[in-house]
Amino acid sequence: MTTITSPAAGAIQRVAEALPPRPGPFARYLRETALLVGRGLRAIPRVPERLSDVTIQPIMFTLLFLYVFGSAIHVHGTYQDYLLPGLLGQSVAFGAIGAGVATSTDFSSGVVDRFRSLPVVRMSVISAQVIGQIIEQILGIVIVAGIGLALGWRPHLGGFRWLELVALMLLGLVAFTWVGVLAGMLIRSSDAMQGIGFAVMLPLSFLAGTFVPIAGMKLVPRAIAEWDPLSALVAAVRQVCQGTPSSGSLQLDHPVPAMIAWCVLVLIVCVPLALRRFRTASV
Amino acid sequence: MTSPELTVITDGLTKRFGDLVAVDHIDLRVEAGTVMSLLGPNGAGKTTMVRMLATLSAPTSGTAIVCGHDVVREADAVRSAISMTGQFAALEDNLTARENLLLMARLRGYGRGAASRLVESLIDRFDIGEFRDKLIKAVSGGQRRRVDLAASLVVQPQLLVLDEPTTGLDPRSRQVVWSTVRDLVDEGVTVLLTTQYLEEADALADDIVLIDHGRAVAAGTPSDLKARIGDQRVDVVAVDSRGLDGLVAALSGRFDLTIARERRRVSVPAPDELDDLASVAAAVRASGIPIDEIALRRPTLDDAFLALTGQPPATDTPADDSLVEVAS
Repeated sequence: MTTITSPAAGAIQRVAEALPPRPGPFARYLRETALLVGRGLRAIPRVPERLSDVTIQPIMFTLLFLYVFGSAIHVHGTYQDYLLPGLLGQSVAFGAIGAGVATSTDFSSGVVDRFRSLPVVRMSVISAQVIGQIIEQILGIVIVAGIGLALGWRPHLGGFRWLELVALMLLGLVAFTWVGVLAGMLIRSSDAMQGIGFAVMLPLSFLAGTFVPIAGMKLVPRAIAEWDPLSALVAAVRQVCQGTPSSGSLQLDHPVPAMIAWCVLVLIVCVPLALRRFRTASV
Repeated sequence: MTSPELTVITDGLTKRFGDLVAVDHIDLRVEAGTVMSLLGPNGAGKTTMVRMLATLSAPTSGTAIVCGHDVVREADAVRSAISMTGQFAALEDNLTARENLLLMARLRGYGRGAASRLVESLIDRFDIGEFRDKLIKAVSGGQRRRVDLAASLVVQPQLLVLDEPTTGLDPRSRQVVWSTVRDLVDEGVTVLLTTQYLEEADALADDIVLIDHGRAVAAGTPSDLKARIGDQRVDVVAVDSRGLDGLVAALSGRFDLTIARERRRVSVPAPDELDDLASVAAAVRASGIPIDEIALRRPTLDDAFLALTGQPPATDTPADDSLVEVAS
């Protein structure tokens, strides 16, 4: 055995450092959020399987649809130009699953409790969760877009269109990440979160005109697809990237305003619920 | 402040989850610089109790003052004064031991340099050096617990809250926890710990509150409670239920028996320890009944409940395995 627990060692530890004076709440919020985002980002390269959700999966979708199903799907223009905006939209929506899994893991492992028992601004814990997830999703989206470009995708993104695309995708990421954070707090097990997340998002994504035009669907799926929020997201991204118009329902006739409206609605509902849940969550 | 100075004061502290009353009107007084142990079986309400004191869960009714601050109205001040180590080592799996400690130090408000010096001293103090740069997911349970404890001592708290700090730990890590608690008390820290182990409460606590079904069912110093619980016991375990009947018949005239039929066990108080063991052993031998086991053991949580409340704990009793640890 060692001298680990000798009182002398404890005494040395105690006199070592004095706490610096506490800055104001907003300065603390920024500092703590940055520290906690750093914690999340540092973990990314150490859990390759977490990144695989945002990289390998979209790559598989890209290859599968481009080279296996693509020849049977008829769209205006090249299939690349149809598929890639769809995949970008899907990546944004699937951000909810990643955020949910990360949140439920943190909550069930007690890590969040530890942070909550510290004198930190509570908003910083949840902000860091959201920001960290968005950064992780952006990594995946950049990889998908890069592969798309390499395989012949040609977006028509002149001038301000770039900015419009980035702004739209960021808004979508923020909204879907909050959905995930709320779901992750409600569904305590990360396995269940993963399962439920895919069970909900995958059908919605397939119906959303991501891979196959909605216009050719049968009556019932088509009716669902026309009002699927993911349809607005995919159609909006496609319109900004390629200038492709969409139609079929009010939201598809005006995909960009519809997507913005969906995102704002989601944020109005999810943010207060998530914050409330975070304040009161208890085992 | 009145003397003695109180670090924790609760009055009628209650927490309900729907119909379940997890904590039922508990009045607690913890003197500064002492160790208070909440002792009880799984599901007794210990964790809910400490979560309320650590501001993680709001009381349904009643009040709690921790380090002079109300846990609801002055939660931030309470958090600055306390440190809590939860039941499950709450560390980031994908950071190393050192990175975890650094993060905690930085979140407490230290700058880069101070945090890193502080972490070095914690690594020395808790013998973390050999796995300091290993990811937490790759270290053993005991090592994890040591890092966890170090993480809650980044600043010297006025009150350290430990929720079942040694459940499932190897003996060496348990010793580290115990001696850390003793050192901290020497340095003036107040410690509130929950445990399922009578032995642990006895070894560390100045005061014990026995909790069952959310209520405080008994309280006192370890020697008070021990006087009420009784002494060591001799357990005799029969090979089958016929053997048990034989044992009861053979021993009942001479000894004060407690019979646990489902465990095929009779139990005899042993105030004279070895002498009692020897006389029970002699009686068993004389009866010629074969037995599985005979042993001298300390009273368990079950015995304590039986002695202090007249009935076994109402909530889930910990598995027999964990009681064996107490007895060892």
